[in-house]
Formats: sequence, C-alpha cells, structure tokens
Amino acid sequence: MIGGMSRIVRTMTTLIFGFIMVYGFYVIAHGHLSPGGGFQGGAIVASAFALLLVTYGTSQIQSFLSKDLLSILESTGLVLFITFAFLGLGATFFYNFVSNSGGLFGTPSAIGVNPGDLNTGGTITLMNMAVGLEVLAALGVIVLTMSVASETIHKKEKQ
Amino acid sequence: MSPLLSIAHIVVLVIMIVAAILAVVLRDLLSSVIALAAASLLLALEYYLLHAPDVAIAEAGIGAALTMAIYIFAIRATKK
Amino acid sequence: MKKPVFFIAFIFFLAFMILVAIGMRPFGEPAISNMDDYFIENAQAETAANNVVTTIVFDYRGFDTLGEGTVLFTAVVGIVALFREVAK
Repeated sequence: MIGGMSRIVRTMTTLIFGFIMVYGFYVIAHGHLSPGGGFQGGAIVASAFALLLVTYGTSQIQSFLSKDLLSILESTGLVLFITFAFLGLGATFFYNFVSNSGGLFGTPSAIGVNPGDLNTGGTITLMNMAVGLEVLAALGVIVLTMSVASETIHKKEKQ
Repeated sequence: MSPLLSIAHIVVLVIMIVAAILAVVLRDLLSSVIALAAASLLLALEYYLLHAPDVAIAEAGIGAALTMAIYIFAIRATKK
Repeated sequence: MKKPVFFIAFIFFLAFMILVAIGMRPFGEPAISNMDDYFIENAQAETAANNVVTTIVFDYRGFDTLGEGTVLFTAVVGIVALFREVAK
C-alpha cells in the first residue's frame, strides 16, 4: 500500500485529477458570482493534491509537487491579500476602490437577479484569487509534509 | 417547509447520526475514518438543504476529503 | 464510581440541547434583521458583486478573512516546523 494503490485506482485518478483541479480554479475565479470563493476553491484544489498523494504514494509525486514552491506561493497569496487591503487605505482599510470605476473588474453590476458578469466585483475578485492561491498552497503544504513524514516513519519502523 | 423537504432533512440527519456512532464504535481504524468522512459528507448535504452552498462546498472539501487524507497518512505511519 | 456522574452529565446536556431546540426561532426569521436587510439591498450596488456572501466575507467583514489567512499561515508554519526533523 505504501508505494501506491492498485492499477484501477491509478487510472481513475489520472482521469479525474484534471477535472477536479479545473473545477477548483473555476470556483476561485467565479467567487463573486456563484457560491464558493477563494477558501472553498483552494480546498478543492488541495483535495486533488491529497488524492494524488494517497493514490501514487509520496516518492512519485515529490517531483511534481515541490514544498518550497508551495511555501513561496502561500506567502505570495497572503502578501497580495494584505496589499489589496492596504491599497484601499485612502478611504478605509479593506475599502473596495476598484468597483464601479470602469477599469479591470470595475464594471457596475446590474441590479436584481441576473446571471452576472465576470468583469465585476473590484477588489473582491482580486482578493478571491489571492486567498485561493494562499489556501491552495497552505493545505497542499500540510498534506505533502504529513505524507512525507508518514512514509519516513513507516520506513523506519519496518527496519 | 414542504413535507418532502422535512423528510429529506430527517433522513439525512438520522443517517448522519448512524455514521457518527459507527465512527466511534468500529474497531478497524480505516473503516472508522470512512464512517467519519460519510458523516461529514452528509453534513455538507444538510448545509446545502439549509440554503448555505458556500459552507457546503467548504465542508465537503475540508471535512470529507482533506481530513480523511490526513487520517489515512496517520494510520499509514502508525500501522505496520 | 465514575459511571453515574457521566450519566447524570449526559442527561443534563441532552435536556439542555432539547430545550434549546424547542425554543429555537423558525428557520429564516431572525429576531433582529436590520444589518441583513441593509446588506441584501445595497451590496450589489455598492460592491458590484452578485454573491452577497462573498461580498460580506471579503469586503464588509474583511478583517475576518485576514484573521483566517493568518491562522492558516500559522498552522502551516507549525506543521512544517513539527515534521522537519521527522522527514529528514
């Protein structure tokens, strides 16, 4: 079991993995229109990482998921989030300075029940992406570190 | 609340309690973790029935998938 | 020796939960709803986002999300520090 699971599970994982990741990024990008947001989408992408780690074992995935890269992505996400919060400091902390301004993500939204436009939301969309990046990387680091540690302990106890 | 929706609530909650009791009672660790994930998934369904899809997505992603993966790693490390 | 204590505590806890469940307000009718009505009416015009929940989480109550991100960051730091010796 330690080197990975059976051929059936591996084949299904390679089929499903991409769809789960694309769905997670969809939830992150459409956080201001549909249910979900940065935290939920990041959790979905990280669960795809967990699926890979459980199925294939740690040693094969370590070349694909680098812990250092994920740590850097996590810090980047948090710093971006705080930066967007500070940029609104002309009015207040966390002021939404982009919305209704007409630029990127600045189109005014139609009032009432409507399907929505992707180019709205202002800083909400940007913060969704920043938090999504942070949560994705943070939960990925947690799962990856625990997987590596569990494999190491298992090997030590076998000797 | 329509009667069909009430029946759906009751069925989901009863199965959830059964799964939670199974998670405590079962001796095999892997079966217990799977029962816990089933309870978590049913909790996500209950959130969805109560019109909270945001919380439902977070619960399904973290409670059912990530917690189960972490428990499986822990069982892998402790079992021979 | 210990069993009756646990049983009495369990009975009290169960009675408390049942009393709370009986005294609960009907679903979807909160007692005070001034803030809710304000958010539902004005969120779409003020922030130009359709999802009111995301509007509250990332704009009106942004401090909450900042704290959540900090908690997650601290958890990752703790886990990496905890398993650094093991995974070597």
